[in-house]
Amino acid sequence: MKNALDTYLKPVRESYNTRVRRLGKVGIVIAFILICLALSLITPRFLTVSNLMIVVTQVSINALLAFGVTFVIITGGIDLSLGSMVAVTGVVAATFAHPDTYPVAVPILAGLASGLLFGAFNGFVITRSKVPPFIVTLGTMTIGRGLALILSKGRPISNLSDSFNFIGGGQLLGVPMPIIILILLFIVCAVILNKTVLGRYMYAVGGNEQAAKASGIRLSTVKMAVYTMSGGLAALAGIVLTSRITTGQPNAGAGFELDAIAAAIIGGTSTSGGTGTMTGTLIGALLIGVISNGLDLLNVSSYYQQVVMGIIIIGAVVLDSVNQPKN
Amino acid sequence: MKRSSLTVFSLTLSFVALVTACNQSTTSETSQKGDGKKLVIGATMLSMQNEFIVNVHDEIAKKAGEAGVELITVDAERSALKQVEQVESFIAQKVDAIIMNPCEVEASSPAVTKALAAKIPIINVNSETSVKPSAFVGSDDVESARIAMKFIADKLGGKGNVVMIHGYMGQAAQIKREQGAREILKQYPNLKLIAHQTGEWDRAKAMSLMENWIQSYGSDINAVFAHNDEMGLGAVKALTDAGLKNKVVVVSIDAIPDGLQAVQKGTLDATVFQNAEQQGAKAIETAVKIANGQPYEKEVLIPFQLVTKANVAQFMK
Repeated sequence: MKNALDTYLKPVRESYNTRVRRLGKVGIVIAFILICLALSLITPRFLTVSNLMIVVTQVSINALLAFGVTFVIITGGIDLSLGSMVAVTGVVAATFAHPDTYPVAVPILAGLASGLLFGAFNGFVITRSKVPPFIVTLGTMTIGRGLALILSKGRPISNLSDSFNFIGGGQLLGVPMPIIILILLFIVCAVILNKTVLGRYMYAVGGNEQAAKASGIRLSTVKMAVYTMSGGLAALAGIVLTSRITTGQPNAGAGFELDAIAAAIIGGTSTSGGTGTMTGTLIGALLIGVISNGLDLLNVSSYYQQVVMGIIIIGAVVLDSVNQPKN
Repeated sequence: MKRSSLTVFSLTLSFVALVTACNQSTTSETSQKGDGKKLVIGATMLSMQNEFIVNVHDEIAKKAGEAGVELITVDAERSALKQVEQVESFIAQKVDAIIMNPCEVEASSPAVTKALAAKIPIINVNSETSVKPSAFVGSDDVESARIAMKFIADKLGGKGNVVMIHGYMGQAAQIKREQGAREILKQYPNLKLIAHQTGEWDRAKAMSLMENWIQSYGSDINAVFAHNDEMGLGAVKALTDAGLKNKVVVVSIDAIPDGLQAVQKGTLDATVFQNAEQQGAKAIETAVKIANGQPYEKEVLIPFQLVTKANVAQFMK
């Protein structure tokens, strides 16, 4: 059994490696550098330390969500409930984050727990039923939004403690906290994907579910894991967002799932599963952030911003398919 | 086996959801209409995810309870199509009056036409439709923006650079608030609008937008006008983080509790109070009057009030 598994996983690993090389050769990295270059030529305001700090801080929330959905998409799934999970976890965290009530660990852990639970519920329904993840998470997206409204009674929860607001608004050695959280989680997610058995199983499940099953991988365990992790990362995004705007908003995060999925796809994660990297996703998220920041600096109307973003998403996928070796 | 247990589970869940949902309608046993039948009023609200709308509705529900009216509330979830369908269902239920908080000027209009055709009085609250309803209760959004921009002009002595954060582009409130702001800007040629962009009514989006503007205009910005308090507070946060708040005037509209608190703290310079309670109260009052065949006003305009640190206390509950 072990041997069969190894011989199956080997080609998966290799195609992943060739992919990374290809990624370095063309595609997203070059596009990203070119756009940054162009922006710094057009406006002197772009390439400043303070502006770049702001871009990365703004990107952090989308990037956290994108990391989670990258795991999910690699296994061939999808998670549409991300935005709603941001709202639920943010509201839960805010509920426990009033000053002089609980230590700051309580809102963080409560938010995180609610996200993990929500994600696990997604995984549970997806693995126990034959309903596609698209439908299940479409359902839980609505459920989540409703829960956020129920928990907050439809009103923003404000008056949060300073220590809680530090998570999204504070700085450590001059670096905004969201950036530190982003870097830490990027490392954690990249290690999970590249260095652990679970990571390899994710590629295997997404590459060929039947083959993965035949080689002894427990599909339900892998899927439970990715949806739960996606929930956990959404919770972190929710906590950072809530802390950044210093209120728990039941309508926060609407549409965030689309930005996160876009970041993963721009970063080279294939929606058919089996391929994708954390680095690619991070660059995808940065690219979206840089474009939105750059267009704001240039005072371009948001109507055009949306058009530009759409073109980039399609362009990234076209670029990817052109680079795909023909079989 | 697994499948059947899941089915049972989901069925139970939907049942629980249904029971909870049914609890929404407010009923009261006390007073009754002249002929002994209790008044039934249907209300369709733009979005129960919006704090202001929730406040309008809470007052409607409270006053309905006091008047012994049975109130059926539905949430149109910002969809005009859904709203029209909801009004159709009110008509089918033969309610005595309908209160509609329209989603859109044009797209919600068929609901008014249908209600009037069925001889059921319909009262628009908070925003308008192109077809005239039996009565309108609300405030003129253009006026709120005039008040806000006038405040900025006075604060800056009629001279300076202003940025404007729009609501969701194309919505009635956004269009009117922009119109009002531009009317005042025209009167002050030295007051320049250097940038304007949508923040989609969202605090986080407005905060990011403001951060980006601070990067590109820095201390050239003298004032911010945000179309609602949520976005105004986002701008305040970005300015505070950048250490610029003391130099920039920020004004927004709605006077939500968070906004009032910020005005009291002095971080938000002013907000414009749109009286949700009055709108709700007058809406249900008018609906009951029409349903009982009593005389009523066709248009009830609730005035806006500028809220600054000087008078904020009287608006805080």
